[in-house]
Amino acid sequence: MDKKIQSLAEAYKKRPVELKQAKKDGKKVIEYIGHFVPEEMIRAAGAEPYFMCRGGEPEPPDAVLEYMLRFMNPLARSMMGYHLMGLDPVTPMADLIVAQQADCHIGRITELMEFNELPVYKVGVPPDWKKEFAGEYYYKALMKLKAKLEEVTGNEITEEGLKEQVEYSNAINESLRKISDLRKKDNPPIGGYEFIRLNHYSFYTDPKETAGKLEEIYEGLKDAPGKFKEGSPRILLAGHAVAIGDYVVPRMIEENGAMIVSDMLDEGLRWYNWDIPTEGDMMRNIWKTKYLDKVPVNIFQPAWRERFAYIKQLIDENKIDGVVWYQLSFDEIYDMECTCLAKWMKEINMPFLKLESSYEYSREAMGPLATRVESFIEAVKGGM
Amino acid sequence: MARNIYREFLELCAFEGQELEEMVPVWEKYSALLGLSEEDVRFALDEWIPKYWDIQYLGVRKMIGAYIREAIEIAKTPEYKEQGVKIVYGILPAILTNYQAMKIAGGDDIFVSFPDMQLVTILNSFFHKVDDYLESAEETGMTYGCRHCALNKTRIGAFQNKVIAAPDVIWSWGFNCDEGPKTDEYINCLLDEDWKYVISRIPHDTHFGTIDDEDEDRVVYMAEQMRDGQREIEEMTGIKVTKENMLQAVKEQGRYAFKFSTLTQLVSNGNPQPLSGSALTNFGQGMTCPFNSGLQYIEEALDIMIRECRQAKKAGTGILPKDAPKVASYFVPFCVPWVDGIFKENGVGTTFSLTFTVTKKQLEPTKYEDPYMQAAEQWLKMAFGQNIGYESKNMIEKVEANKPVDGLLMGFFDFDRWLGAHQKMCSKIIQDATGVPTFYMESDFWEDRDYSPEALRTRIESVCQVVKMRKEMEM
Repeated sequence: MDKKIQSLAEAYKKRPVELKQAKKDGKKVIEYIGHFVPEEMIRAAGAEPYFMCRGGEPEPPDAVLEYMLRFMNPLARSMMGYHLMGLDPVTPMADLIVAQQADCHIGRITELMEFNELPVYKVGVPPDWKKEFAGEYYYKALMKLKAKLEEVTGNEITEEGLKEQVEYSNAINESLRKISDLRKKDNPPIGGYEFIRLNHYSFYTDPKETAGKLEEIYEGLKDAPGKFKEGSPRILLAGHAVAIGDYVVPRMIEENGAMIVSDMLDEGLRWYNWDIPTEGDMMRNIWKTKYLDKVPVNIFQPAWRERFAYIKQLIDENKIDGVVWYQLSFDEIYDMECTCLAKWMKEINMPFLKLESSYEYSREAMGPLATRVESFIEAVKGGM
Repeated sequence: MARNIYREFLELCAFEGQELEEMVPVWEKYSALLGLSEEDVRFALDEWIPKYWDIQYLGVRKMIGAYIREAIEIAKTPEYKEQGVKIVYGILPAILTNYQAMKIAGGDDIFVSFPDMQLVTILNSFFHKVDDYLESAEETGMTYGCRHCALNKTRIGAFQNKVIAAPDVIWSWGFNCDEGPKTDEYINCLLDEDWKYVISRIPHDTHFGTIDDEDEDRVVYMAEQMRDGQREIEEMTGIKVTKENMLQAVKEQGRYAFKFSTLTQLVSNGNPQPLSGSALTNFGQGMTCPFNSGLQYIEEALDIMIRECRQAKKAGTGILPKDAPKVASYFVPFCVPWVDGIFKENGVGTTFSLTFTVTKKQLEPTKYEDPYMQAAEQWLKMAFGQNIGYESKNMIEKVEANKPVDGLLMGFFDFDRWLGAHQKMCSKIIQDATGVPTFYMESDFWEDRDYSPEALRTRIESVCQVVKMRKEMEM
């Protein structure tokens, strides 16, 4: 099984090389930031998408400090930091960087990209999502993006093309759901650390083949023995994002005797629980699924009560013993939601741990982090 | 004979006659409700205000008085609520038109304020005493280490400490930061489900250099947000705002903005400089923050201040010697007035704030007849409403128009992921375009728990040295 996961990891690593070749072959390379930018539209325009969500290292966030306030979350800062350090192989060849504009962190980082004359295109996502005209704003933004992609690529985005790409994405979602559902077993054959990586790699493989590869993994896992010790606490991992490469915390949770059996993260992972319908107007379908159907992201308003209701549903469905809230440093809105969640978790007697990362995983930083995780897991075990 | 601190304080603020007699017990009662002890009032009277505010001017003392009236109004909100007065709050930054129009429409039946903004301004500028509110908010879970905004913490702390009543509705403009409107969800979820709010937001999705106010779709959308917000507020308060109310509010705002612009010119061009940047900026609040007690008091202070600046110009007097260098700011940190004080100690004056200075375009008549379209256009012409490229272009115009400018101070917004995040880039753009040296200082505009005078003194002194040396070389 590890080999199959490893083969996806290799595909992820080779993706920049593939993109370089694609450029030579005349294709456009389009990076995108955030799930409100539909990768299906980029593919339907005949371009190669590249999901910008790398993080987990301390130097890139610091690389932007000459231009940027330091109290910005490290994931946003990394998006430009890798480029400034010369460690981002894709951005220099990107024909377009499409960035969702839903929060200030990404908003200002994309302005830093513009300041550095990178080809940024913005997709506005109003957070006041209960207003009909706010929803229409996002829909119009998607229609403008469609026109922009057609202009950049010279290709028309057709309904058929969109439908085809959405079907690939839905198939990937379905495979991921099946694999994720294996985590509902008392002793699952796969934990959160591996699942998150699988989810990440699915962004960088050929979508026509990805679902098939994930199906193979599922077939190999479905009857496999559990990989955790009996009675390991079942953890829900929630928060903003586990970036691609930022695996310290999920690995640490599982190495210390717990298993991550469910997740609610706004970024980084595919929104695999929400398929886009393939009947009817595809642009409307994409818009509705992302904006109205999916559980609201943290920045939407109001959102936190609905998000808590969804977390409670996940707790019930996955027999959760404890919730770990994984927060990025200086992510002020997640910090505020965390306070509300902590209160509500207390009301339902659910153990709750807040962890915060600045992507500083030095020996000095790891010690206290490990102690907190160990203590939490021991406490959860004690209460089981 | 024992001093009556409260009376002396009000005298300092230019209260007099019968009104003074009536206000003494009122001020004593409501200052206590605001968390100010007699010793706090004495400290402000004897030490803080004389040290940091230009109280040789009646205009400045009247301006402080206008704020004190507003502080009392805010502390009365629990009483107002009991009396059935509709309470409407807002947050910064916003265009005042809608809020003032509500006040015009509702009169004494409605209370309108940005309580956090007023409380931080009043308590820290004049008493150095907002920390209790901040700590109260931090106790609820607004963690100290995350660098949350002091305004939002003050809102939470003031409600938590029962200084302010829950509003009938707070209209939170989220056209800039995320945390402002989200604070209302926080209060609603954590402290009181009856904390009702309406939010108006727009994504930051215009591209670098786009002229936001000429983007017709954007103006229309923003006007729709304002109209929708107004409609919701009217439903919740039962107070209807007419087009005439809106137009009157626009007219009042225009008049105040014109007068403030006059004062800015007098301060920026005056040699010697007649007034400190902190005081100048505090007069500017009449354009950004509604006064439930009305604009008349601060406007009266502004009128007097303009006259006094003209007199100082004639007399050749000022707060610093002739030819002293002048430093403009992104926003002069008037809530930590010792910053201004250290500049002055070092022979440098702070002058205008980029955020409160208008461009030529802002003074041009609007092309729209609809008041919401006018307000939307007005917002998008303001620095707060723009992408970094357009905002920087306008900052350059403001620096050029208000020369002599010997330096430009950026920073003091480290808590704000929108207004604070881009300032280092703006510094580079402005310096390259104007040749004016820019200095970025990481600090907090509202409060000084993290950045003490000791911590910033060396940095300010070195800025002053550079500015003075350049000035001497130019002369």
